[in-house]
Formats: sequence, structure tokens, C-alpha cells
Amino acid sequence: MTAVASRPVTSERRPEPAVNRPAGWRRARRFVLPLGGLLVALAFLAPYLVMVLDALRPSSDVLDSPPTLLPRHWQLGTFGTVLGQDSFRNWLKTSLLVAGSSTAIVLVASVPAAYITARFRFPGRSAFLLLVLITQMFSPTSLVVGIYREFFEANLVNSYFAIILTNAAFNLAFAVWILHGFFTGIPQDVEEAAELDGCSRVGTLWRVMLPLTRPGLVTAVIFTFIAAWNEYVVALTLMVDDAKKPLTVGINSYVTGYSQHWDQLFAASIIAIVPVVILFAAIEKYLVGGLTAGSVK
Amino acid sequence: MPANAPRRKPGRRGRLPFWTALLWLSPALVLIAGVVAYPVVELVKASLGTYSITGLRTGSAGLGNFAKVLHHPDLGTVLRNTAEWVVLVVAITIVLSLGLAQFLSKQFFGRRVVRWAIIVPWAASLVITARLFTLLFDFYHGLIDRVLVALHVLPHPVDFLGDDHWTMPSMIVVGVFVSLPFTCYVLLAGLAAIPDDVYEAARIDGARPWQLYRQVTLPLLRPALLVASVLNIIYVFNSFPIVYTLNDRNPGFRHDTSITFMYKLAFKSAEHSVGMSAAAGVFNVLGILVVVLAYLKLVSWREAVR
Amino acid sequence: MALKRTALLGGAMAALVGLAGCGGGTGSSSSGGNGGNGGKQVSSIKLVAAEYSADHTKAFWDQFAKTYKQKYGIDLNVQIISWDDIAQQSTTMVQNNNAPDILNINYYSSYAKDNLLYSADDVLPSSVQSDLLDSFKISGTFNDKLYGFPDLSSARALFYNKTLFQRAGISAPPTNWNDFEADAKKITALGGGVVGYAEPLGPEEAQAEFSIWTFNNGGTWQDDSGHWTINSDRNVQTLQFLKKLAVTDKVTQNNPGKTNRTDGAFPLFENNKAGMIVGFGPLSAQLDKDKKVNYGIAPMPYQNVSGPQTYGVTDYLDAFKKPGNQQAVKDFYELYYQPDQVNTWIKSEGFLPVTKSGLQVFSSDAALKVYIDTLPNIHLTPNQDPTWDKVLLAVQQQIGAAVAPNGDPKKVLDTLQQTAQAGG
Repeated sequence: MTAVASRPVTSERRPEPAVNRPAGWRRARRFVLPLGGLLVALAFLAPYLVMVLDALRPSSDVLDSPPTLLPRHWQLGTFGTVLGQDSFRNWLKTSLLVAGSSTAIVLVASVPAAYITARFRFPGRSAFLLLVLITQMFSPTSLVVGIYREFFEANLVNSYFAIILTNAAFNLAFAVWILHGFFTGIPQDVEEAAELDGCSRVGTLWRVMLPLTRPGLVTAVIFTFIAAWNEYVVALTLMVDDAKKPLTVGINSYVTGYSQHWDQLFAASIIAIVPVVILFAAIEKYLVGGLTAGSVK
Repeated sequence: MPANAPRRKPGRRGRLPFWTALLWLSPALVLIAGVVAYPVVELVKASLGTYSITGLRTGSAGLGNFAKVLHHPDLGTVLRNTAEWVVLVVAITIVLSLGLAQFLSKQFFGRRVVRWAIIVPWAASLVITARLFTLLFDFYHGLIDRVLVALHVLPHPVDFLGDDHWTMPSMIVVGVFVSLPFTCYVLLAGLAAIPDDVYEAARIDGARPWQLYRQVTLPLLRPALLVASVLNIIYVFNSFPIVYTLNDRNPGFRHDTSITFMYKLAFKSAEHSVGMSAAAGVFNVLGILVVVLAYLKLVSWREAVR
Repeated sequence: MALKRTALLGGAMAALVGLAGCGGGTGSSSSGGNGGNGGKQVSSIKLVAAEYSADHTKAFWDQFAKTYKQKYGIDLNVQIISWDDIAQQSTTMVQNNNAPDILNINYYSSYAKDNLLYSADDVLPSSVQSDLLDSFKISGTFNDKLYGFPDLSSARALFYNKTLFQRAGISAPPTNWNDFEADAKKITALGGGVVGYAEPLGPEEAQAEFSIWTFNNGGTWQDDSGHWTINSDRNVQTLQFLKKLAVTDKVTQNNPGKTNRTDGAFPLFENNKAGMIVGFGPLSAQLDKDKKVNYGIAPMPYQNVSGPQTYGVTDYLDAFKKPGNQQAVKDFYELYYQPDQVNTWIKSEGFLPVTKSGLQVFSSDAALKVYIDTLPNIHLTPNQDPTWDKVLLAVQQQIGAAVAPNGDPKKVLDTLQQTAQAGG
């Protein structure tokens, strides 16, 4: 079973396992499956399509009753308006910076830790893995006051550094867990061969092991990026300047108790989804192999 | 390799001295100790203090906050809601994801696009999705009522967010919706890792599709199901935006889970007590810890993960 | 062996955690960069401001900070937080002994009670003190000292839909409760998803809705000596009336106890689906912008009192005591209450003035006449009582239940009275 996990596994490359099915099905499936796919895609996209349509109508029409799917009056300029706002662009830049940096730090911290715990035995190994699991369970909502305090003591409130570190720390556990499983699945011979060739431990990791864990790395990247991109409570508490707020916090400004711009809120939210989808589309084919390497032996 | 090399555990090389290991672990440890451990300590300290409504610490409370939380009249409701919320969202998500993953593991035209479409609820922030659904579920300006009445599924509009019978189901729908994407991918990966020979062998034995699924696929998916369920339990338990936003218009604690209960104790309820909230926070962490560890024990974690 | 090492690792972690605990205790003295022991003056102060609107709040404070720096040479750091989050954020800051120098929020007396604030004698120029409207000064006074400095005010009035009134054959807005009930029934009878009155008693601002109705029935939150009168007969009568509108007459929108203004009541009125609603300045601004509703503003219908009563709300700019910031804070208020500062901002946000001089400036605006005339005699909630800060939350969380079909107005008010008397 270790052999299975060692190559990047994707469904694309595998032939369909032949199973006993009635003959007619094989002909119908060419139409039925894509149709099913369309329905599934629509089911997942439907609310967000509504959001797009809400961004394309005047704000006061959004909460009109009875509601209509298509706008009664179209207002096409909102996306442009939002993209043209300095404040919005700043929030977008902050989100990109924070999510990107957190992901990078998570990789730097989790790869050595996962490698070591997967491939070697040492005292405290189980304790570390348990610690990682426990860390996974804390919700930043309950810890936000303490987080604020410690960065305030370190005079780091309102610094990018603070939220980048926080996002990295809270997503570390998942990355370690995933990579750990992946490293475990690599057969010993690969490593021993590298050592015979004179590689140091670090060299082995860098040149031999890492490439084989690409799906795991990609998984960790996607999870961390999304988690950091959508983080709200800690960013709200730590970031003071409007320009340094990420998108999640910034777009709250569009709708207050006193003035509501639902159209801009939704336009901004749609734009906020785009970078994540782009990232995902770029690395998606590695993802499928990554997620269960923690448990497949 | 020398013929008499000692047999080792699969995949693991050998022992490391403690300090070498520590070096490799240090970036991770520094992050955890620095950023996660300190706030945990602060949380515990806060739970042991009395605070004025302004947030000013006015003294020590001993275990008083914990007692107050345990004696809170709405605690039973909150715990019931939490159990309902976690169990139903996780169970429904897993069942639906099994089907979805099975579907997406088949080759068909347009599969790539469908896979991208599934990612969107995950890519969007929970706060935004929750706000969107608050609009969609509204009695007057919500599309869901309009569509369901037009399709004659409902005889007349339902107050999804305000009617006490419908609030939890509405929350669960949203919870499942945002949990499906990544669960689906976890199971998809699990399916992909099952080798073909297994199916071949079963087919030769004359297995029918449903038998195949129950006796071959599901057991081999066990590791993936484990990952999916543990992650889901943790994420759903800790999920704040959905429960909070959908209940924004509902007074009291009637539909709150333990996470929103904790938040409201500090800022929105008449108690307005940071100390009580911190105590609830400590209970929350202990609670989820117990649940996950029990669950792992139940499914014999140690065998599945080495 | 492994066990021993694990214990060692555990011990190391515990030590780390213990060290973290040590660090936490000593950090409380420094208050976020405001330097100064004793007489040393600060070089910058921090303002945490609530966000009234995306369009105006930030723009105003940024400009204000520039002017402030030019005039006094001190940096003004501005942090804007949405109203939804400001209570949580300010509590977190205070909890960590990092309160801002000036906090714009909707209460003050709890801070004053905790001895965290400067009083007017310390930081408010006397010209400003005498210029503040008396009703706000009284409301802002705790223990005989003025701590609550108002930033702006809003008043509520009855908004009605002229088109729907015409269709229902109503010639003028109602002036007493019986007429109000009758008019609401006529409008609801028009059908087509229209309701007579949009009644928001959800947690967002339930206290405002209840306040304006009960003030117009002779009810009060407290009597003149500061005793709570929450479950007075007049209050119970008011709440019973609101329940009647919802449950018996069915002239309100669905589920008033769970409707907020922003995404519930206001949208109905803004889309011609509600005949009447209690509204304020920002709602007019929105209606004027959208031009969808032909609306009018009238005084509230009243009974058992001599004339229509106005309910007003003011938010505060609380001044926190911190070493060396007294002069800087005083300068802030001196600048803020300059007519060209405070009134310009109030005007752009669509609110009402808080000073007598401001009253002069705004009285020329015909659209605001309804509010301006009653502003000097405005009713406010008992913000000067620190217990109110907790009672407010209880009201928001509990009063909606009274107008449900199985709601019990008397019981709800009795419970609130008990909460208030117990000190919150």
C-alpha cells in the first residue's frame, strides 16, 4: 500500500475500474453524467450567482420584496466602482500579503517538523503530535483577547507581522498532520538510496523527499491560504489602520446600521473569491492525491 | 542493503537524539508556543477573574465564573443545540460527500469545471456566505421562500430564521453547504487511492455495484472518512459566523451553540462578563478535546495513523 | 525511558507557558506608546471612532486629524470600527489596559463608574460646556459630574407613506393611538403584501422602539429620583399595545420580536411595503437618495400626555485618563466642538446637533423642523446610570419575546425590572 501513496495520485490518470453494470448504462452515462455535473455545479454556485446579480442592481433593490432573481433595474458599474476604491485595493493587497506570507511560513515550519516525526523516532514524538492535534482544536474566537494582549505587549498591534504569525500558527497543525501522513507513506528505500549517495539529512529532505510529497504540500498550501484569506476575528482585533485591514474586515464598512451599500458589499465579496479560485484552479490537479495521505498506508 | 539489516517499522528510519529533533521542530514549536500557548494562558487567567462591564479587571473570582456558567439557565438549550448542530452537520456532510465524491471520481465531460464550482463555498469567507444566506432565507426579501412557494414545495412562505422550528434546520443547511467542498475532496482523494486490482478481483468474484460499494469501497475509505470526520467535528464545533449571523435577529440564546454562547456572554447578553465568557471558552476547549479524543479512541486512531 | 523524555518535554512546555504567564502580569503599566510619567506630555493620542457610514466617517476623522496636528502639533491616530464590533473591541482594549484616549461609543457611565474617564472640568472648555444642550448635559452627568460628551444626536419620528395613505383613504397621519391602530388596519387591508406598521423589536435597537412608544404614553425607564420604573402600568400598557398590533390586529410585519431595522423594517418601508415606521435622519437620507417612496414625517401619536414626545439618542466621545494626555484631550474637544467641525460632520452624516449654536445652524433646514423643534425637550434613555448599560442589553435580548403570540408583556417587564434593581 505504501507504493500507492508515493506517486501523485489523481483520478485523471486512472482508468475507470470495470464493474458489472447493465450495457445500456454505458451509453446513457455520456449524457447523464455531464447533466448531473451541471446540476451539482449549479447547486454549489447558485447562492453566489444570486450574489453576483445582487451586485448588479441598486442597493435598495437588493432587499425588495417580493424578491426577483434578475434585477428589475440593472446597475452595471458596481464592480468597477469597488475596484476603483483606494480602500478596497488596500484591503485586497493586505489579504494577498497576509495569506501568501502565512502560507509560506506554514510550509517552512511544518515541513521539517512533519519530516522528522514521520521518519524518525525520538523522545517526545507522540507528545508533539498530540500537541499538534490539540492546537487544531482552538478557535481563535475564544483566544482573541489573549492574542491581542501578547501582540500589544510586543508592540506589534497593527502590524502585518502579527496577523501573519497568528494565521501561520493556527494553521500549522493541519499542515503538519497532512505532511506527516505523506512523509510516512514514502518507502524507506528511497531515503536509504539517497543516503547511500551521500546526502545529508537536509539534502535528503530537500532533493528527494519533498518532490514526492508534492500533493501534500499543495494541500497544505490550499488549506492555509483559504484559512488565512478568510480569517476575520483576529484581523479585526489587531489591525487598526483602514489600509491594513484585510478584505474580510474591510468589506463590513459597506453596510452599517446607518448607511447600506449592499451592491458594493456583494461586488467586493465576489471579487474576494476570485484569487482563491485562481489559486485553486492552478494547483487543483495535485490536490486529490494530497488529502488522505495522512491515513493511507 | 546488507542481508542481515535489522527489520524496522515501515517508513521510519531510526532514533534521533532529543536535541536534534528539537532543532527540526523548533520553527513549529516557536510558533505554537508563542502564538497559541500564550493566549491559552490568558484565557485561563481571564476565566479566574471578575471584570466590570467595561472590561476592567476588578479582582479574582476563583472558580466563580465556572459555577455561574454551569448554573446559567440557558446552558441546557445551548448544549442541546451544539450537539444537534455538530452531529447533524457532520453526518449529513459526510453522507452527501460520499455520494458526490463517487460521482466526481468518474470521468465525464465537464468534470473539471464541476470540480472548480464545488470549491466556491469553501473559497468564500464564512461571514459573507452567512450574510448571503440571511438574505436568502428572509421571509420578505428572501429568494428561497419565493422559489419554494412557486414550485409548490411550500404552501406559503416560511419564516426560516425567525420561526423556532425552522432556525436550526436553516443553520444546518448552511453548515452542510460550506462543509461539503473540502469533505468531498478528502473523500475523492481517498477514492483515488484505492487500487484497481481490488475492484478487478471483486468483479471477477461477481460482485454487484452496491455490494462492491459496501464491502470494498467503504472499508478502504475508512482512513479518509476518519480525516474528514475529525476535521469536520472540530471545524463545525468552532464555527462562529454561521450561527451568529443567522441568529442576528433572534433575541436570547434559543439557537446558540457553545461558541456563540461564549461570545454573547462577553458582549451581547445582560451578563456582559468577560470572566464568564472565558470560563465558557475553557469549557469549550475541554469539550471539543474530549469529544475528539473519544471519537479517535472509538475508531482506533492509532492503527490507522502511524 | 520514553515516558521520562515525554515528561521532560511536557515540563519544558509548562515552563514556557509559565513564563508567558509572568510576562502577562507586568505589561499592564505601559499604555500603548503614550509615554510620560507625571508631567510629561504625550506626542500622540488615539481615537477609536465608530463607523456611521463608509462615505463620511473616515473622511471626516482623517481631515480632522490633519487639522488637529496642524493646530496643536500632536498626532491623532484614528481607528475606525464598525458599530457591530466596537463594543467587543473596546472591551478587549480596556481588558488589556490599552484603552484609547478618546472612544466614540454609545455609553459612558460604566467607564465613569470605574474611574476611567476625565470629567468636563478636566477637559471640556467652559465655552463648550455652556453651549451643550441641557438635555444632553443632564443625560451625560454621573455623580454630579459631566462625563458623557455627546458627538451627535438623532431623534425619531413617525415616517409615513403618502401613497399608501392616499390609497387607504387616510387624509392625515394619526395623532393618537386609536387613530394609529385604525390607520394601520386600513393600510393592511390594501393587501398585496403591504403592512400597516413595521415594528422592529429585534435585538438591534429594541430599546429605541419601545422607548419612543412608551414616552408617548407617559411611561419612563426611571423616575426623577433614579428608581427604576420598568414595569410601571404605563410601560406594560405600551408593550401590550405593541403586542396587540402584532398578534391581534396583525397590522405589523411577520415576527416583530425578531425583526431588526437595517435588514428587516427599513427595507419594507423603503420598498413601499409598510405604511408607517419609526424613522430618523439616516433613513430620510436613504429615502431621498433612492427616490422610491413618497414619504412624510410626522410627530408620534400620543396618549396620556400633553403632546407628542420625542425620543432621542446620542453617542459619546469618552475621554480616558492616561498619563500625560490631559492637555491633548482638551485640545481635541476644543477643536471638535468648533461649529465648522462638529456641525459639518453632523450634517454630512444626516444627524442632529448637540449644541445650542448648532441648533441655530440647523434650524434653517425645513426638512429637519420636526426634530429641531423638539430637540431641547428630548427624552433619552437613562445613560447616566451605569446599571443601564447592562439593562440595555437585557432589554435587547428579552423584550422581543413579549410580542410573540405566546408572549407575556407584564412578565417580561417584571423580569427586566428585577434585573435592573439587582444592579444589572
